[in-house]
Amino acid sequence: MAQFTLRINGQDHRIDAANDMPLLWVLRDKLNLTGTKFGCGVGTCGACMVHVEGEPVHSCTLPAIAVKGKNITTIEGLSADSRHAVQRAWVALQIPQCGYCQSGQIMTAAALLEQNQSTNSNISDKTIDTTMNQVLCRCGTYQRIRAGIQLAAKMMKEDS
Amino acid sequence: MSDIKLDRRRFLKVSAASVFGTGLVLAIKWDELPADNKNGLKNASPFQPNAWLKIGSDGRVTVFVVESEMGQGSSSLMPMILAEELEVAWDDIAIQRAPLKPAYGYQATGGSSSIRKGWATLRGAGAMARQMLIQAAAQQWSVKPAECYAENSQVLHKQTGKQQSFAQLAALAAKLPIPENVSLKSPNEYKILGTSVPRLDIPGKVNGSAQFGIDVRLPNMLFATTVHCPVIGGKAKKINDRKAKQIAGVEGVYKIDNAVAVVAEDTWSAMQAAKVLEIEWDEGANKNLSSQHIKKQLENAANNHAQVKFQQGDIGSPGAAKTINAHYDMPFQAHVPMEPMNCTALVNDQGCEVWAPTQSPTGAKNTAEKYGFSKFSYYLGKVSRRLNFAERDVVDVHTTLLGGGFGRRIQQDYVAEAVQIARQLKQPVNLTWTREEDIQHDFYHPYTFHVMQGSVDANGKPHSWWHRIAAVGQASAAQLPYAIPNSKIDLASVDIAVPTGPWRSVKHHYYAFAQETFFDELAALGKQDPLQLRLELLTDPRMKKVLQLAADKAQWGKPLAEGHFLGLAVHKSFGTYVAEAVEIALDDQGLVNVVRVVVAVDCGIVINRDTLLAQMEGSVVFGLSAALKSPITIKDGRVQQNNFYDYPILKMSEMPRVDTFIVKNNESPQGIGEPAVPPLAPALANAIFAATGSAVRSLPFSQGASG
Repeated sequence: MAQFTLRINGQDHRIDAANDMPLLWVLRDKLNLTGTKFGCGVGTCGACMVHVEGEPVHSCTLPAIAVKGKNITTIEGLSADSRHAVQRAWVALQIPQCGYCQSGQIMTAAALLEQNQSTNSNISDKTIDTTMNQVLCRCGTYQRIRAGIQLAAKMMKEDS
Repeated sequence: MSDIKLDRRRFLKVSAASVFGTGLVLAIKWDELPADNKNGLKNASPFQPNAWLKIGSDGRVTVFVVESEMGQGSSSLMPMILAEELEVAWDDIAIQRAPLKPAYGYQATGGSSSIRKGWATLRGAGAMARQMLIQAAAQQWSVKPAECYAENSQVLHKQTGKQQSFAQLAALAAKLPIPENVSLKSPNEYKILGTSVPRLDIPGKVNGSAQFGIDVRLPNMLFATTVHCPVIGGKAKKINDRKAKQIAGVEGVYKIDNAVAVVAEDTWSAMQAAKVLEIEWDEGANKNLSSQHIKKQLENAANNHAQVKFQQGDIGSPGAAKTINAHYDMPFQAHVPMEPMNCTALVNDQGCEVWAPTQSPTGAKNTAEKYGFSKFSYYLGKVSRRLNFAERDVVDVHTTLLGGGFGRRIQQDYVAEAVQIARQLKQPVNLTWTREEDIQHDFYHPYTFHVMQGSVDANGKPHSWWHRIAAVGQASAAQLPYAIPNSKIDLASVDIAVPTGPWRSVKHHYYAFAQETFFDELAALGKQDPLQLRLELLTDPRMKKVLQLAADKAQWGKPLAEGHFLGLAVHKSFGTYVAEAVEIALDDQGLVNVVRVVVAVDCGIVINRDTLLAQMEGSVVFGLSAALKSPITIKDGRVQQNNFYDYPILKMSEMPRVDTFIVKNNESPQGIGEPAVPPLAPALANAIFAATGSAVRSLPFSQGASG
């Protein structure tokens, strides 16, 4: 067991957890931040995606202690009011069906768009494919996610 | 509202508008109202004319939804039906999960049946409330109700333009008698139905606030996971939990009916402890079961033991110029909803509460009654509640959002496990399966084997058709939609221990694959165009229409890009007609790339256009996963797949463009959650057949085409 501090969505949390306990379960079962989902436990489905220093990571295979002191963002902290461009695009295109994978989809898409914004280029379908292949959706919302990323990119350009 | 007796029954007569035939009167049963005061809530709901809605003095219309929301959109589509008749603005609608009360009947969502089942009732419920609000306004203005109409959450007087909002009228309307008859709008008057109003469940699904079963958090809650015998049907004989209990946070290990449960302070600790449990299994009778063995049994059953299900003419009658024989087989498939199986339960002296992402709240309740108590304490609880006039039953089920269902969550195994664990604890416990348990202990889409025989006459037209199906569990078939003079369908149900159950589109998936793929083989035998031959032989004009539409939109018969090929299939299921045209490209290595899927659908009246499109897109993806990805295979009585790395599903880069076209008509609305799955695999197989000349007769296609 170890004691450490995690900085999640701008807030510090004192954690008491086993050394190997993944960030996912600290978020879900210790802090009740249940927006981040468990889907496979082995880093293959992407339902557990969060940002660590802005980079998308699988929280189900990442020991929480390894990211102590780093800035962690979960779906709950992506925006204060669901006004992040990706969230707006997801509502505008009515992307979620069951919605279970969508935290992972949104966090992965948001990180992709942030990175892309700094290069200020258009996002190709190929980039979307490679990045979004990390997150599985059994309901089959992929076509809309592809459109949603392009719409969010447009919204971000208009906002900036 | 508080003194309404639980056993009161009400009947309302609803006369439907003329398009549905004159004089059609439906008697709809109303039951007791799900009054808020039962939960101790005193909110502003003066008007609650039936079990399906209440209108607050703030004008908010709360619709009670019976259907489980698993992404198919029912929790918005059912309120749309009611809102259309009520003439309420969509923004004034809120939804509340219907309680487990007799008014709502047996609560289960499946078989693409929600709209079909609720269509008459919800229109009647909305129309009843509208009529009473109009009556209330007319009374206030001292005018005739016929001079008034409702629109946009208001009642208006035609002559004077006077208006009052539903909010203002609700209290008065509540005092009026329930009308015996109401009339319904005709489709040409619809304002909400057929549009794409935004779904009510989506905002919570983009910010992490949507609560799925796995997200239930209660004070003093523990977490659990269960381990099942890897051999189907096996049971734990001896458990050594010494190592498991050494893991920090582990509270206990329990043997329950069909599994071993580990309870801990958090899910992770429970799952870690489960890995180090030393369990001696009684593997039982199935330890030698294998997919090859099952296939042989099915083949034998199809050839030798199939019973006639449908027959016309004589398949042996003379006139066949050429004959073709083929075997088709389709493996077990798992559901793998993204949310693994889970359930939360609390069993204490007050009874049993269950929080479940289930397709059947009533099924969950029955299961909890069976597993949550000894028979004695269950009946004692029942009796004492009756004596105390308690509002809550011994078992209460809270249905959460479902992270996918696809038929898996009509089963109640995870509920049975959660309540058994909760019985040991007297505090709430959230049971979550690992993905491995989810994949290895499913109720699979059944393995099927199909023996096909067909012949064509001297003109190349189909002369005979013989489809023999053997399935694990209950074999089933749809109808042959083609007028082939001599045709026969035989079924053989084979009793094998692998659990099977409904899987998105159920029998239609395997039936349509064999039928529609073999149809192209037969067309090729007679040198016929598969589209023209279908149009010649189909008897249902709606089926022809969707097929023609899909073919036209996919440019059937016109030159395609170099290396591109098309395949078609059509199938009717759950009342809805769907044709699909799949366009593929073959690359240099002969690998198949699915470029585009054209979907043509006729589901009668469209409730929500955007949701219809979403269901078509999602069904195509579901069908593609089954057609292109891994099967579930059995060896030594064990399911061999573990997780998404060896049971992959379609991913973003494999997603083709999907274009959906809707046939508009005023036929009664039908299911949309499943009917676009069955045509996908055969349309894709037919495209590959067109490209290569080799028929694809097994799923998934990655296992190779057979000549």
